[in-house]
Amino acid sequence: MSILAASSTTATFVAPHVEFGKLSPMLIAFGTATLGILVEAFAPRKQRYGIQVGLALVGIAASFAAVLALAGTTASVVAQGSVAVDGTTLFLQGTILVISFVAFLVIAERKTDQNQDAFAAQGASVPGSAAERETTRRGWQTTEVYPLLMFSVGGMLLFPAANDLLTMFVALEALSLPLYLVCGLARHRRLLSQEAALKYFLLGAFSSAFFLYGAAMLYGYAGSVNLAVIAQHVAHPTAGSTLLYTGVALLGMGLLFKVGAAPFHMWTPDVYQGAPTPVTGFMAAATKIAAFGALVRVLDVGLGVNSAENVWRPVMQAVAIITMIVGGVLALTQRDIKRMLAYSAILNAGYLLIGVTSTTAQARAAVLFYLPVYGVAIIGAFAVVTLVRDAGGEATDLSRWAGLGRRAPIPAALLAVFLLAFAGIPFTSIFIGKFAIFQAALAAGSPDLVIVAVLASALAAFFYLRVVVVMFFSDPLPQGPTIAHPSIAVKTALAVAAFATVALGVAPSLLLHLANNSAGILAK
Amino acid sequence: MSHGYLSPTGLEIAFVLIGLVTLGSGLLVVTVKNLVHAALWLLVCMGSIAVEYLLLTAELLAWIQVLIYAGAIIVLFLFGLMLTRAPIGPTEELNVRHRWPALIVGLGAAGTLVTVIVQAYQHTWFDPRGAVPLGSGEALGTQLFKYWVLPFEVLSVLLLAALVGAIVLSRRGRDTEEAEA
Amino acid sequence: MHAVYPLVLGALLFAIGLYGVLARRNAIAVLMAIELLLNAVTLNLVSFSAILRDRYGMGQIFTLFIITIAAAETGLGLAIVLLVYRQRATADLGEQRALAEPVEPVTADELSPRNVEAEVAR
Repeated sequence: MSILAASSTTATFVAPHVEFGKLSPMLIAFGTATLGILVEAFAPRKQRYGIQVGLALVGIAASFAAVLALAGTTASVVAQGSVAVDGTTLFLQGTILVISFVAFLVIAERKTDQNQDAFAAQGASVPGSAAERETTRRGWQTTEVYPLLMFSVGGMLLFPAANDLLTMFVALEALSLPLYLVCGLARHRRLLSQEAALKYFLLGAFSSAFFLYGAAMLYGYAGSVNLAVIAQHVAHPTAGSTLLYTGVALLGMGLLFKVGAAPFHMWTPDVYQGAPTPVTGFMAAATKIAAFGALVRVLDVGLGVNSAENVWRPVMQAVAIITMIVGGVLALTQRDIKRMLAYSAILNAGYLLIGVTSTTAQARAAVLFYLPVYGVAIIGAFAVVTLVRDAGGEATDLSRWAGLGRRAPIPAALLAVFLLAFAGIPFTSIFIGKFAIFQAALAAGSPDLVIVAVLASALAAFFYLRVVVVMFFSDPLPQGPTIAHPSIAVKTALAVAAFATVALGVAPSLLLHLANNSAGILAK
Repeated sequence: MSHGYLSPTGLEIAFVLIGLVTLGSGLLVVTVKNLVHAALWLLVCMGSIAVEYLLLTAELLAWIQVLIYAGAIIVLFLFGLMLTRAPIGPTEELNVRHRWPALIVGLGAAGTLVTVIVQAYQHTWFDPRGAVPLGSGEALGTQLFKYWVLPFEVLSVLLLAALVGAIVLSRRGRDTEEAEA
Repeated sequence: MHAVYPLVLGALLFAIGLYGVLARRNAIAVLMAIELLLNAVTLNLVSFSAILRDRYGMGQIFTLFIITIAAAETGLGLAIVLLVYRQRATADLGEQRALAEPVEPVTADELSPRNVEAEVAR
């Protein structure tokens, strides 16, 4: 009987309605990536690099155009409840795409390093071996990197839009898997790079397991993985809430890992240091935006009910405080610039968490403003790092940077702009972002967080300024690192990043307005 | 029908017995000193979980568990072990020197999770064989393509990315072998 | 069946996996422990699906996704382990120490202008 019932449902199977228009940004990104794989299969080896880079950039631009076309449409939940397309989603997707475009310009750079990009010609060959020299001489390249990163971009677009935990998990893996392996493909310092890939992979898989266990518990609690349904059950509890809280804790661990918040930050410095520098910039900016978007959606849509908020909010506030302390204090002891920027990324995750825990529309708008300005600045900072080179790749040790300001005033000045912005000097974009977040936190009634944040900022100003001092007020090293002359693409990326950092500090109203308008709308 | 711990049904007895196999083999996976044995115990563990799925009427999943986990993943692991020339015999190298923090975390997690679950579900009984038949391929497929089309498509793209990625990581030129020798 | 049996089985298996990830030093052994974690999750999902009598079978569908992704992840993970092994001839995580906190942290005056000069002179 029951079997008959099952077969009758299949007899009336209707193809589901899919809103292709609303999904077009991610569909374009995934489509571009798939096309890139076809290019890999059919295009001649010599032309692949050009085709791949062009294709990726066009794909990102097309996807961005799709986001623009969708802007202003009514917020809705599409694809059978899997994806929420609303103001916040579109703002974050647009941000991710702009950031990715700038990051791809840096990733594709070949002029700084003897006409080769930052990736090993063949991932598995031994660095410095005859075979590697041979493959390099023939001009072989790992052009698969570009479609792989496009897969990652597609995952990032889906991650903050996911309206149920299953889609969120698939998006999480789609954005992470390509990044795990691209981390291991650095041309120089291959050992560090591969170690970073291994650590990132193992810890990432470990944290996914936590995310999943949390998702399973929420499913057990609410009978669904859809965030809206979970929210209904949280508002009108039918079962005991211990299951809910354990589920939220485990799910939170998985998400906080991706965000890079302490005490789940352990992977960040190692991976940021080991990964190819342009990819580090991409990860530091775009992954963070996507992960914060997902965190905001889970907390505000799934658990945005007062009864639930009272439980997770103090915990998240504690996490924010620990994150700021860990980021601020440990950054002081670093001697590698990439590692230092990694701790600075952790510190900034702490500021963002303050905004996330405040859960007002004002705080959400502040987070939305902070994400792009921070993302652009961190890409710019890592792009400068790619220019300062030794024989064996980039010179990342801080002592090598002494006197750089005199030998290469322009890159040093650009880095100084980004670092001063991170330090929160007025008239920079990040100052405005911090100000907006602190203001929202005060309005939401958590002055203690703001006090810790201000203290952490003061501490942070010290290590940012230290780099500036080393660059401008020390004498140049006699055998100092060389400064590569980048191509027009990297120059453009740097100019855009620096311009955005300063311009959005002087005249932030446009982006603030946009963030305010977007933050109010969450499809539920 | 009366429920109780003291009057278990046949299904419960079967479930618990197989559960013990699962836990025992799981424990061996993380403790044995021989990596190849660990992989084989993992096979036992996955197989017993497949049987548990059958008991919970998830037939399709049981077969997928056997095919993918027991079939593909364990074989991958064995290949990995051979290619890394992992120590075939018993060795102390597998474990970290101080295992007590791991033990504390493990026991702590077990204690917390079991408490939470017992608290939430101590008065809940269910009959896996009653109600809606969902374990069949037909029912599951209908649901999958009715409600989860987008994640499914993204998943297929993800598999492509993983495939290409694994090739990128492992590919070597023809002449690399000589250079290494 | 009492709902506690399958759920507790999942929880204990998760704890075992957790212990394994923290106690193992060989990368492949850690990967096996992660598989245990994922299986614990899927067991939970399938049991919840049965307990809730979920008409939509979300738990089972979710499991289907997890198994597929776990397979992809394992393949990629082993590729990364092999890559590291080729370079270092070890899959021991204890040996992966190239990326770590600096042994002697850089102090403020070490990087002050005068000392950098001194170090360069040396």
